[in-house]
Amino acid sequence: MITVTINDREIKFDKAVTILEAARSGGIKIPTLCFFEGLEKFGGCRLCLVEVEKLPRLQTACTVMVTDGMVVRTETDAIIRARKAMLEFLLINHPLDCPYCDKSGECELQDLVAQYGAEEGRFAEGKRRHPESFDDPIIVRNMERCVTCTRCVRMCDGVQRASAITVTGRGDHSFVEPFSGGRYDCEYCGNCLTVCPVGAIMSRLHRHSYRAWFVEDEIETLCGFCGVGCSMILQMRENTILRAIPRMGMGINKGLLCARGRFGYDIIESNRRLTTPLVRKNGELKAVSWAEALGLVAEKFSEIKEQDGGEKFAGIVSPELTNEDNYVFQRFFRETLFSNNIDSIIRMFYAPAQAYFEGIFGQGITANLISGIGKSDAVVVAGGDPTKINPVLGLQVRAASGNGAKVVSLSNAAGLKRFASSEPVARSGSENFLYSALLKALIDTRGLPGRSGSIEQEIGNIKWPNDEEITQRTGLRKSDIEKVAEDLKDPKNISVIIGPDIMINNGLMGLFLIAAIIYVLDARIYLLSERPNEQGVIDTGCMPDTLPGGRPLEISSFREKFEQEMGYGVPGQKGLTLFEMFEAIGKGDIKAAYVMGDNPVFNLPAADRIREAMSGLDFLVVQDAFLSETAKMADVVLPAALWAEKDGTYVNLERRIQRLHRAKKSVGGLEGWQIIAGISGLMGSRMEYNSARDIWEEITRASHLYGSVSYEDLATDKSLWPYKGEPLRSGKWEIKIPEEVVEKTGHGCHVYPDRLLFHSGSFSRYSPALNSIQAEPYAVMHPDTAKSIDIKDGDRIKIAAANGWSIELVSKVDNEIRDFSVRVPNVFEGVCVMSLVDYGIEPGTGAPVWKLSDIKIEKVQ
Amino acid sequence: MQKFLLKNVDNPRSTDIREYRKSGGYKGLKKAVEMEPGKIVDEVKKSGLRGRGGAGFPTGMKWDFASRDPNFPKYLICNADEGEPGTFKDRHILERDPHLLIEGMVIAARALKVGRGYIYLRAEYPAAEVILDKAIDQAYKEGLLGENITGKGFKFDLSVHRGAGAYICGEETALIESIEGKRGQPRLKPPFPVNVGAWGKPTIVNNVETFSNLPLIIEIGPEEYSKIGNPDCPGPKLYCVSGFVEKPGVYELPMGTILRDIIYKHCGGIKGGGKLKAVIPGGISTPILPPDKIDCQMDFVNLPKAGSMLGSGAVMVFDESVCLVSVCMRAMQFFEHESCGKCTPCREGTGWLSNILERIENGMGRNGDIELLLEVASNISGKTFCPLGDGAAGMLLSFIKYFSDEFDHHIENRKCMVN
Repeated sequence: MITVTINDREIKFDKAVTILEAARSGGIKIPTLCFFEGLEKFGGCRLCLVEVEKLPRLQTACTVMVTDGMVVRTETDAIIRARKAMLEFLLINHPLDCPYCDKSGECELQDLVAQYGAEEGRFAEGKRRHPESFDDPIIVRNMERCVTCTRCVRMCDGVQRASAITVTGRGDHSFVEPFSGGRYDCEYCGNCLTVCPVGAIMSRLHRHSYRAWFVEDEIETLCGFCGVGCSMILQMRENTILRAIPRMGMGINKGLLCARGRFGYDIIESNRRLTTPLVRKNGELKAVSWAEALGLVAEKFSEIKEQDGGEKFAGIVSPELTNEDNYVFQRFFRETLFSNNIDSIIRMFYAPAQAYFEGIFGQGITANLISGIGKSDAVVVAGGDPTKINPVLGLQVRAASGNGAKVVSLSNAAGLKRFASSEPVARSGSENFLYSALLKALIDTRGLPGRSGSIEQEIGNIKWPNDEEITQRTGLRKSDIEKVAEDLKDPKNISVIIGPDIMINNGLMGLFLIAAIIYVLDARIYLLSERPNEQGVIDTGCMPDTLPGGRPLEISSFREKFEQEMGYGVPGQKGLTLFEMFEAIGKGDIKAAYVMGDNPVFNLPAADRIREAMSGLDFLVVQDAFLSETAKMADVVLPAALWAEKDGTYVNLERRIQRLHRAKKSVGGLEGWQIIAGISGLMGSRMEYNSARDIWEEITRASHLYGSVSYEDLATDKSLWPYKGEPLRSGKWEIKIPEEVVEKTGHGCHVYPDRLLFHSGSFSRYSPALNSIQAEPYAVMHPDTAKSIDIKDGDRIKIAAANGWSIELVSKVDNEIRDFSVRVPNVFEGVCVMSLVDYGIEPGTGAPVWKLSDIKIEKVQ
Repeated sequence: MQKFLLKNVDNPRSTDIREYRKSGGYKGLKKAVEMEPGKIVDEVKKSGLRGRGGAGFPTGMKWDFASRDPNFPKYLICNADEGEPGTFKDRHILERDPHLLIEGMVIAARALKVGRGYIYLRAEYPAAEVILDKAIDQAYKEGLLGENITGKGFKFDLSVHRGAGAYICGEETALIESIEGKRGQPRLKPPFPVNVGAWGKPTIVNNVETFSNLPLIIEIGPEEYSKIGNPDCPGPKLYCVSGFVEKPGVYELPMGTILRDIIYKHCGGIKGGGKLKAVIPGGISTPILPPDKIDCQMDFVNLPKAGSMLGSGAVMVFDESVCLVSVCMRAMQFFEHESCGKCTPCREGTGWLSNILERIENGMGRNGDIELLLEVASNISGKTFCPLGDGAAGMLLSFIKYFSDEFDHHIENRKCMVN
């Protein structure tokens, strides 16, 4: 027990804390500036100076630890004088342009001076001058205002671990600069903006457009760009978002954001948003009223249902929409249209991967806290770059590395380059050779754990490739793989993070080998989740074969119980999966499709084929916030609200249900469930919902998973898997070992979609802010690849596929791509890399496995 | 008196290991390798040696802390970032007797069980780098550095690390940051480098002159050694005298030599028979003394009693022809330029002070400027992260304390009283 006396008050502590923490826990206020919770201690601003008995000098409360019997004073004359002096020093070079500075009203220096500072300054010399820097598209630097607290640098180094900025110069000419010079050329997380206490580093998005006291309302809601589910605050005035800010410590992100979350909110206010329904008349989309549009959809759908029945419909939901939207959609399809043809883009990776791992290890096996990654002693990453797909989760991998964990990256992960202890990346298409070699090496170093006979039996059946074969196929040496096995020999607390490339490259065989590696490592599983509500799509039954809650609908006892409880019928035969639907559309077996919040003709592989198929539909309804490539083909386009305009719930990749809170009323768009309920009502099947809460309550009746989670519980830990229930983790050890689905050809160059840190799917392209960071796609390739096809960095190139499609764009030569692939983001209008790839369907899961056919790249003049 | 530290410097071939050996070099090391490491630490403790870098911390005590730390590897760093204005004593050893330093460092490595050492050399000493590199080469060839030193099976590697021109890197934690490749700024203490230093490992940082005392201590034993100079802080001391004396230079004298004797006896008095106006006894960051204070002993114990500090032993002598306002301004400009920018009072305060001093020097002083100087200086003093700010404030406060009439004259008459 440590007893400290602060201002004659005794305070006791179990463990040593800083004087500042001690004082604050006792309600004693000590002003600080360079101190920031969670950042490395600094002790530079000298505002928190206090007197400690027996120590000759004043001490900084933020750095000095209390010791037993310590006597501290925080309000003596000497301290008050010192504080005044420090504030006077801070102001001598500070421009005092508060009337013009955006920070005014929420500036820590302003507040401190108001409370502790002198009435007037005595500095009669000229202040230092430093021009404001507008070199960067979204961050403006005003170093005259900088107080050199280095909070931004410590954030960048110690938390974001991007090490993009530093203090340059010295003395009173110390300025914060990006290493890259004018433009930041960094990860644009903007976490430096969060911690800047003054107006030195600020966002240009809302420059001079608001004052802190203009904010009418602050709405705490979720970011809608990926499956991490970061919390943030939207500051509102007159139904307009002034800015998105985090609050330190808040949400699972604890106040950290990435570029998309912090700057991408401007898509909500984009002038390209759809504001009115559109109906195709004489071949052209024309603005019509909601009544006309919904009436037309109801009429057409009724007609097709009467004539042909429910199996003639295809329904595509979206992991960008809420549970409430998706739940109501599946109810509409099952009850009103009597169809189970419901699926979504998560068929590509998230859904089959989760189903596969749950089949082996048990339900909920992927439900693990993101914060657990940072506490791991080893992290294995395969199939994607977590720092790009789920950036805030990626920080946990970096944190683990900072804590000394071994980080093994088995895929192209540029964001982990400085953090990985080994990075064996196999040639594209040969990953299974790497996985099996690694599995074998791990069994050699760690042994088989003996927990499951069935998986060990299957491991015993593996035909191990020999060393020569491995080297020949993967391009890796035996020693590369032995090094990984050595790194992973001893760790006890391992996280394995799995991204989408694993499925598209290697199908179930890849998943099996990774599952076996997970088994040998006794590791936690994390599935990267590109969109905010992938888990929710599964949980709300937006799958052709499962009911809300995940039970298979073909088991009649489940289905009947559900129908009884919910009062609506469900067809007894499972529907078509996503890619089966497109095949059926192509054959004319499906007549009408409803696409809710996705852009399949751009986002799915063999996009050209999908486009061709869809053009043959009798009737296509697309509900979206923007006129996407798919919407342009529609007969009816229904404008939708985006996440900031909605109430409802998302389920993140750790299976935590979180609430969205409506920050603004959509201008023209409606929420998905409102539109669906409207159509359903017109078709004679009324749905009585007044709010997202009503739907949530219905979902909790429909889903045994969510059964015990009330709307109020959503703000608490009860909304975290297993939702007050018992975890069901006893695995069924159902191991499906599939045949190779597609033939991997050649050792040539393959094209893949690149996942960008600054963009997310095909709708972040509508964000001017994100476009100002990156407005154009590029084809990124390793210098060796570039050399072999005689391409230089910045060349304009044409990439042509065997199917006749081609794209034109600029090349970027960078060793961040470690294999022989060319990666192109599938984001920007006019450059649909998905047109260049073809797939085969993995029969067990309906997931697409890519055919890797060689591409041709040539320079364009 | 007999010279120990500078006995070789007048030999034109003193940097050669053979010459060094001829004068008894590496005898201390030979003796040290026969001793238990702990015994060497004890001897250094007994000798009473205090660090020659400026702070005067007892070397034996520092070593004791370091040798008690159970963590390995440990690092040994020689602070050769001799940046204190007026100081050029270490340079003498670095350029003219590098083996004395190397021998001292190998003895320290032996005592502290260190396998790797660095000489952090001031960027502005390029010649010393060449000389040191060559001497280190020679020492490796002769088995005095490397794997199996003197055949006794202990290992010590040594190399030169050049600084990049920052005064603050003479502060040991900033120096360590710099060696690690980071921006040279002092670290929070505790933990102290002896426990958490370079790359988080126990690190012992000593000055060139400190290391150079070690062969002597080992060779003649701590009892004999402590008979040299002031018994409270014994040993030979290098004083570097500059300014208005007849014979400026580096003088090896017993610690505690009277300041007046240094100026008048050893350096031949004030240049051209002029009159002494003031002395800075220990480098620019030590308080200036007026002529009536120069009868004190130049050591860590007695100079503070006279109102100043020994610092690096850099004696700067000013005669009546010198404008002290100008000296003060120039010194403050130095501190402003060298402030690392980490803490508020030093970063902003030194700039402010030099602004005011420039104004006064240029005949633009205002009434109240002296009071403002005093107040700003006292707002820096005792509140900075590291001693650099204290040094700047202390220097200024001493100038005004003894020579306020000069400042007054500048402000009132808008010109200097000397010229």
